[in-house]
Formats: sequence, C-alpha cells, structure tokens
Amino acid sequence: MARKRVAICAVAQHKNDSDLWHKRFQNMLLDVLEDLQEKAAFTFGGKKGVNQIVSASDDFFDARTISNNGVTDVIGAQYLAEEKMAQEGLNALGYAAAIILSGHKDLVLVMGHSKESQSESRNMVTNLGFDPFYGRALGLDYLNAAGLQARAYMAKSGLTEEHMAQIVARASQWAAKNPYANMQQALDPGKVQASPMLCDPIRQLHAYPISDGSVGMLLASEDRAKEFTDKPVWITGFANCMDTFFFGDRDLTSNFALKKAAERAYKTAGIKDPKKSVDVVEVMDCYAYQQPMWMEGLGFCADGEGARFIEDNGPGRYKVNLSGGTLAGNPLVISGLYRAAEATLQLKGEAGDHQVPAAKCALAHSTNGPAGQFHSVLILEG
Amino acid sequence: MKYFGTTVADIFNTMPKRFKPEEAKDVDIVIGYEATGPGGGKWKATIKHGTLKVETVEGELEGCNTMIQADAETFVGVTLGKITAIDALTNQKLRVVGDVKLLMTLLPKVFIPYSIIPEKKEVTARDILSTVRDRFRADKAAGVIMSFGYDLAGEGGGQWSIIIKDGQCTVKEGLEDNLNVKMTMDASTYVGMMTGTLDAVTAFTSGKVKIDGDMMAAGATAKYFNKYVDPNAQEAEELLSLKVVTSVGMRFATGPVMGKWFAGLKEKKLLANVCPSCKRTQIPPREICAFCHVRAGEYKELGPEGTVNNYDVVYYASPDPLTGVVRDTPYAGIFVVLDGATPEDAFSFELKKEDIPRLKKGVRVRPVWAEKPKGHFSDILYFEIIS
Amino acid sequence: MKKHRKNRNVAITGIGQTALSSHKEDQNQVEMVHEAVRSALEDAKLTLDDIDCVVHGNMELFEMQFQPDMWHALGSGAYGKDEYRITTGGTTGATVVCAADNLVASGMYETVLAIGFEKLQEANTTGGITNMADPLWFRHLQTGALTATTATEMIEEFGEKRARRAAMKYRIMMDKHAMLNHRAHRRLGLEYEQMEDLMKNSPQLVGELRLIHMCSQSDGACAMIFTSEDSVKKKGTAQPPVWIRDHETSHREETMSNLFGFKKPKMTHRDCAEKLFKRNGIKDPVEYFDVFEMYDPSAWWAVDWLREFFLLKADEHLQLLESGAFDLDGKCPINPSGGVIASNPIGATAMLRPAEAAMQIRGDAGPHQIKKNVQHALASGFGGTLWTVLIMLEKDLNW
Repeated sequence: MARKRVAICAVAQHKNDSDLWHKRFQNMLLDVLEDLQEKAAFTFGGKKGVNQIVSASDDFFDARTISNNGVTDVIGAQYLAEEKMAQEGLNALGYAAAIILSGHKDLVLVMGHSKESQSESRNMVTNLGFDPFYGRALGLDYLNAAGLQARAYMAKSGLTEEHMAQIVARASQWAAKNPYANMQQALDPGKVQASPMLCDPIRQLHAYPISDGSVGMLLASEDRAKEFTDKPVWITGFANCMDTFFFGDRDLTSNFALKKAAERAYKTAGIKDPKKSVDVVEVMDCYAYQQPMWMEGLGFCADGEGARFIEDNGPGRYKVNLSGGTLAGNPLVISGLYRAAEATLQLKGEAGDHQVPAAKCALAHSTNGPAGQFHSVLILEG
Repeated sequence: MKYFGTTVADIFNTMPKRFKPEEAKDVDIVIGYEATGPGGGKWKATIKHGTLKVETVEGELEGCNTMIQADAETFVGVTLGKITAIDALTNQKLRVVGDVKLLMTLLPKVFIPYSIIPEKKEVTARDILSTVRDRFRADKAAGVIMSFGYDLAGEGGGQWSIIIKDGQCTVKEGLEDNLNVKMTMDASTYVGMMTGTLDAVTAFTSGKVKIDGDMMAAGATAKYFNKYVDPNAQEAEELLSLKVVTSVGMRFATGPVMGKWFAGLKEKKLLANVCPSCKRTQIPPREICAFCHVRAGEYKELGPEGTVNNYDVVYYASPDPLTGVVRDTPYAGIFVVLDGATPEDAFSFELKKEDIPRLKKGVRVRPVWAEKPKGHFSDILYFEIIS
Repeated sequence: MKKHRKNRNVAITGIGQTALSSHKEDQNQVEMVHEAVRSALEDAKLTLDDIDCVVHGNMELFEMQFQPDMWHALGSGAYGKDEYRITTGGTTGATVVCAADNLVASGMYETVLAIGFEKLQEANTTGGITNMADPLWFRHLQTGALTATTATEMIEEFGEKRARRAAMKYRIMMDKHAMLNHRAHRRLGLEYEQMEDLMKNSPQLVGELRLIHMCSQSDGACAMIFTSEDSVKKKGTAQPPVWIRDHETSHREETMSNLFGFKKPKMTHRDCAEKLFKRNGIKDPVEYFDVFEMYDPSAWWAVDWLREFFLLKADEHLQLLESGAFDLDGKCPINPSGGVIASNPIGATAMLRPAEAAMQIRGDAGPHQIKKNVQHALASGFGGTLWTVLIMLEKDLNW
C-alpha cells in the first residue's frame, strides 16, 4: 500500500500587526477560526469532524504557563485531543502531518498565536533562552546572536550594507501587496541604510518588526481532502534539524542544521535539485542577512555566494518571499506558519497580487533558537 | 545523646546567638518545644519586642501559642536539613500544634539557621610526609635515581629524606648523605605549600624556602608524586548556585469580551454571555461556547445573589508569586451558581472571612462591592452569606 | 465493529530514568536530561546513532528557560537530528509518548527518543502554577493546585466515614508500593494502623485535603525509546518490546468553576476512557487490564477518578477499592510504582506512568513487580485544566 499523503485544505491568516492592543489571543484565534471555516466547512467531534488540534504558541511570549490552556475553547478542543507544539509553528504542520500519516486521526486543525507586543522586550524573553550561568550573564539574546552570525556571514559571503538595504526594500515592496503583512509601505533602500544601528551590523530596518498574529490551517488525509477543498495542497516532505548550543562549538556560517533539514525534506519529496523543482520559496528571514544565508543552506546558491545571489536577482528568479517574508513582520514563534500559509496560497492560486503563475511546488522554511540553531523545511505540491 | 553529630540541647544553647532581633520587632510569641526520647527535653522560647528568652522546662509546657513536638532524632534531623520537614510533618514524626505556617516563615526569618561547626584538625608536616610513599608515581620515576631532603624548622618540624631508586621510594627521618638537593623552610611553610594555601613559587621567590643543591631537582620533585589531598578539606566540590529573580514586564489585553466583563464590574454588575445554541451562561464571559463551537452571544446580568454549591476552605496558602505575600488563613473560595445562571455554570470568588463558620452547601450569598469600582478584580470585595 | 488500527505498530524498546528527589544540586538540567537519555540507550542497547528523532517536553515556565531544548541539545542527543518539542502542562510526559507513537507510526521515523523532565528546585513552583491562570482574572483567585472540592463531593455522596477511609486507604496503599520502588522520591513507611491517626492529625491544606493526601514536588527526568514494528522484527530488541496499542487525549476549557455547579459536566477522564475502550472493543476495563498506572495528584482525586476511568457508577469503585481489587495482588493493581503522590517531576511524571506500566509488562519493574502475568496495561496523564491523556499498552500484537 503506497503511503498516503496529507493535504492542507485551507489556511487563514490574521493580519500581522505591531500592536493588537484591542484583542486578546482568544479574539485573534476566533477571527482566524471563523475565516477558516468559511473556506473549508468543517465541524468538530463525531465521526466526521476535527478530532485533533495541534496548537502552536509559546509560554514566555504569552507569559502564561501552558500557553494553550487559555484558548482551548476557541480552538475547538473541548473534549478533543489537543497537543501544543512549543517549537516554532511550522513544526506543528510537520507534526500534524505525522498524526494523519500514523492513521490515528484523519483531520487535524492547526492553530497558532503569538503577540510580541505584549512583553516589555522580546530580547528579554530570548535572553532567557540562554543557559543561566554563562550565556544569560553575557547578555546574549536572539538579536545579538544574529548580530554575531551576520558579522561572520558578511565576512564569508561579501554581503554588504547595500545588499541588505536592497533585501529589505524588496521585502517591503512585496509586503505592500500582501494584505496580511505587518509592513504595508514600501521602503527606500537609502532609508534602510540610514536607519539607526540596532545591534551592529544589524540596523533597525534590517530586523523584523515586532508583530502580533495568528494562523489557522486545516489538514486532512488523502481520503478526506476532497470533502473540504477542490485544490488540496499536498505535504510531500518535512524535516527539521538541531545544531549544538554553544556558539564556540558552532561554525555560525555553516548552515549545518539547515542543510541537513533541507536534505532530508528534499529526499522525502523526491527533489534532486531545488533550483529546478521548487517554484516558490518562503524563508523565515528575521534579519536581512538571513535571506541569502538561508538560500545557501537550502541549495539555491553555492556556499558563500549569497551576495552574488542578491546581485543576480536570485530572490526574484526563484520567487523568494513574495509575501514580504518575516522581514515584513511576523511573531517569531509562528512565522513559519505564515510562510507555509503563503506557500499554500501560491499553490492554490489564491495569492492575489503576488501570485506566481502555475506554481506547482513550494518550499516553506522556519528557524528557531539562537543564530539558526534549529531549522525546519516543508515541501508542498499543488 | 548525639544525633547527626550534635545534640538537641546544642540547638537551644546556640539560639540566643543565632537570634536576629531586627527581624523580630513585631513578633510576640511563645513557642514550646518538646523533643522526646533519649537526648530530648522541653524548652520554651519567648520572643517579644525584639528580645528572645530561651529556657529549659521541667514540667508541663504552659502558656505557649505554638508547640513543636518530635522525637529527638527527628528534631535534630529536621533542624539540620537532613530530614525534609514536609516528610516529617506528613508522617507525623514532627507535629505542630498551632500555626504550621509559623514554622515555615517566622523561624527562618528570626534565626540564623543552626549548623554544626566541624572540628578542624591541623595537618602537620609529619602527617604529610607519611603519605609520600602512597603518592609515589613509579611510572613517572622509571630510571630515576634521586634523593632530596627537607629540613623543617619550628613547631612540628624535623628532618626527612626522600630517596627514589629502582622504581622505589623510601622516606627516612634525618638528612642522608649525598642528597641531590636540600630544602630548608619553616614546617608551616611546607604544610601551606602542600595543602595549597601557600603558593610555592611565591614561597621560593620570597625566600621562605632555601635550596641547597640542584635547583632543577627541587622543581622536579612534584612530578614524581600525586598531589597531596588535605583530609579536612570539603569532600565535595563546591557547587555553584545562582539565585536570581527573573521578570519581564507584560501588558495584557482584555479584548472586547473580557473588556465588557470589567465594564460590567464598574457598574456593579455580574455579566455573563449566553451561547446562542445551548443557552449556557458563561461567567466570566467567553468569546465562544466551548461545547457548541459558536461565538457566544448577548450579555446577561446574573445574580447578584446566588447559591453556594461547593467551596474550599484554605488553611495553607501559597505565597503570591508576584508579591511574596502569604494570605491570612483560613480563607474560603466559593463556587456559587448565581440566580439566572444555567445549572453547570458556577462562579468562583472569595467568601467574607467572618462567614466561614457558617459556610456550607446551599447557603445563599451576595457580592459586596468596593465603594468606587474601577473595572478590576478588586471591585468585588468578597461574597457574604445572606442572613 | 472495525477495530482502530494505526498504519504501523510501535513498540517501547528502551526505558531510562534518573533518580527522583528534591536534591539534585550536583547536576544541571542538561546533565539530568543526559542521564535519563544514557539510561534509556543502555536499556535498549542502542547508541545515539540509532535514534532518528528526539521529542522533548516539560513545563518551561517553571524553570524559566525559554525553549530549553536548545540548551538541552547538549545532552538530549538531538544534535544533527530531527526534534520536536511538545508541552501540554502536567500531561506533557504522556503527550510526548503519544507524539513519539504518532511520529514512528507515521513512517517518518524509525526510532524516536522521548524525553520528559523537570527541575522544580530551579523553579518557583507556585509561580509556575499560578501563571497558568488568566492574568487579569483567575490568577487573583488561584491557590496553586490545591482544592478539596472533590473531597467535599465524595463526603456528600458516600458519607464522611466511608469517603475519608477510602482516600486514606488509597494513600497508604500508594506508600506501600513506593516503599518497594527504590526510585520513588517520597517513601514514608506508612502502615494501615495509622489510618485513624492520619485522618485526624495530618494537617489540613484545604478543607479535607490534608498534607498526607497530596503529591510531591520532585526533580528528575525520564527517557523512552520507540521503535517501529519493522525495525523490531528486523533487528530485534535488547528488551521485550511493549506495544502501544492506542491512545487518546481529551482537553477542556480554561474556566474551572463550571465543574462545580448544580450539574456536573462529563470529566475528560471518562471521555477518554469511553472513546478508547469503545473503539478497542473493551467492555469491562477492570477485567481487561492487568495494571493501571494512573496519574494521581492526590488521594481524593485518585479515588474519584477510578470511577471515571473504569466507567463505573455509584459506589462501584469504592467497593473495588475496599475489597482489594486495586491492591498489588488484586484484579487490577493501581500504581505499583507508588504513583504521583510518591514522585512528581512534573514534565516527566506523565511519562513515568506509561514507563512503569511498560516495565510491568516486561516483568522487570523490580520489587514492585506485579506477580501475575501482565499483558494489558493502561496509563494516564493529567494536567492543564483537568485534561487527560490515556494510553493502552500490550505485551503482544494481539489486536
């Protein structure tokens, strides 16, 4: 019996916003759920309804122990199975796919939420990701970790301020076409380069804006996908990979974890050369330098060639982040879900202004941990 | 009678010097202690106006607000932390008559914890030299022929020679002929260097050690022997521990539904919202009905009176994690089905302290409001029983 | 009726734990996790090279370590491998077991290592639990995890004497099991003669919930290895494989007060049991199961939940308890390990339940091993706002 596939039937995104002060998580998720139910008529419970929810949220950003416990009712989990992916949200999709492939459940709802605006400083939160005795005491957080990686990557690849300004400007132009993006105005590269230094070499405008958001998706087994959509988007590959923790033990420019995750995902999806097979790419680029760096790790350009990739309009040619990417503003812990949502819309032909014609295969990526310690890669086919 | 290396009496004998008067300014209490069995006894500690009086008691322990009873071994064990207090309380080996909270909060505050000061035995040069053969590294001294002498002056001093030959090491008292090198120093300098309290290089450089003979040989001695370990030194490695309070400021949103709840409180109203499908009244209001998966509907004012269906009388309060404040106990939480609510949907809140004795299932209660509610938890002071 | 079947069968092929205690100052979190991982690998006679994927879980807001799996990569064995992190409060350990089952059964991985841990010593436990409640309202009401509402209900239903004796019998039974389990944290040496004394003198925490009834707070880690049926058959296993037959999870909403109104809604324990037993054709769970490792945070809840899990009514559960059906040599022993009351390293606690149940099936639990043949085991996890995870384990692939 050939292994059955898993389909993403429908996706719903809450517009990313710098400060959703007037909504709490439950409001955001309910808006997303209702939107999703309009796109794919599903119910909860019984033989035909959703019997499994995979939530995606983070206890620290929510400042709530068991961050999913406040939203159980909204995400439909009353007397149903619900499991919270505490890793970055894209992994909720990989895990949801596993649940369906296991045969346990044939319909899974994925619901993620996060508000970066809620905490005093997201750097204070990510500082707590370091070990208490050394990393934290040094004042490391995910921002200055990225700064270290950026500096190393710029030296290796020749990426400059000009490249980064170009990357951000391009992201903002695409974001302006995406009703769900936080950033809604195109930025001038000059303005990007002139923005104040945030954490050398990362400038304010090189960094993803603080964002609040929520994403919902309905996944079904191959047998049931047609009940919910005419255009199922198939998950053909998923993998992730963990690097080691201490920076001194890592080559910050090696893309060790990303390469392995990509290799495994491509293998499952039967992809030999992503440059030839993938029509649309959504990478999680929290900081400008990450876009070309992750594209190296994904195999779209050779190691150390990221600067050249930007100069040769690589992102344009390979249809990278037509949503604006993470640079346009997503919360860290569910940015991968936004990438996957965008990739799905592309394959469904519902990407509106930024649609890639006849897109058949898409890649969604996310990263987590300090300086890309952890990466996840999802391959979709429509 | 000793337990864990000390006596019950010692705990009380040291109480006065472990007392912290500045922490006991507002304290007015008499604690009775009874340790039973061999080595036991009775003591009374009176803490008043920042002063402490400890006395042994022969007859009955009278006039005590609180009594702590245990067999002598448990008493010492818990005091030293060798026996966990919670375990001893749970299996009744430690009994407290009165306020258990007291044990946990007051005593650690007004007393420096009792600990046993170990007797320190001074190591002598002779002690160290008696370990030389045991520490000899024959593998490092293959083919080596060497003899070196120590001429140690002062208390605990003497003369010794160490001879290495044919893979063997011999230690003799006295200084042998034809030593490769002789080191002259105070016995205390020798002990200091060997136990690591005195830096050897500094000792040599500052002239505390005189060398006659082969300088290189003097330096080489260390490599033929394992390091001397002071038996009085702490057995375990020092464990690093970091105590830190972590906090990140948060700004929480109510959203419109919870916002409406607080707006209701401002008007001294207890609002629920109704599920359009099953009609249940959710209080506080929710965005959705969990059972029906539909957006919750219109708001409905409940109560203000209601019936208590279940309750919790709390005797042991956990400290508030944000403020550290421990609430006065007992306090009671009630689950009240307000008038107009659907039968499952009870509301929980605190009951007026004075009403606790009358609390039982079925009593009727009503909220008591703050004079000027501002849309906050503190708008309801408590619920009280309707007489 | 069509039996519930997964696409692939999954076996537990390795179990490891650290000692559970409140004094683990000599290890940091990474070292503690690593000890459990090593222990599981040794048990399974495997190396990290045999592991495809790691699943990790705990209640992160306790230790205040953001995304702890990043730091723990130093000891979890996840380096270079796929990794998932799933956290569902108290049920985490059991959820992580379900996740490992899902991941292997999916065909995406052959061998998965699951880790559950907690180091409460490095935490503000009350803070962690209180933070579970909504910050703007319920947090102001919270008393940590202590409540006696169930005791009150049971006393009303069965009378004070019978109810209190049942809770105390259960408690002492748990301690007797813990005394046989050298890995248990709290072992008090209680005797049934102490029943009256304890019922009267154990300090009250909340209402009739006394200190003696309540679970521990422990530090410790547990790790388990899950392997596909194909790999088990091809390569063999060092230990007898224990098969995961099925599992189910049931959550419920945040609001807790609606559990104590005039009418009581269904408990998630019963919901899970109903679903699981129905689709597996189990009509009489007390007869079917040879052991039940139940997540029992307090003696009162434990007795009450026996009625829910076994789908009983009225006082059937008390009758079974009183007649010895749940004793170590009874029809369906409960918690031969001593349960959660004896040891509670929260992120690992719910994993210890299927781990202990699996050891009973394997026959190598140690002095607390049930004497008769254990074929069918049940294990539960508890946490959140009264959520349940229920797992069925089998000695043979018999379904």
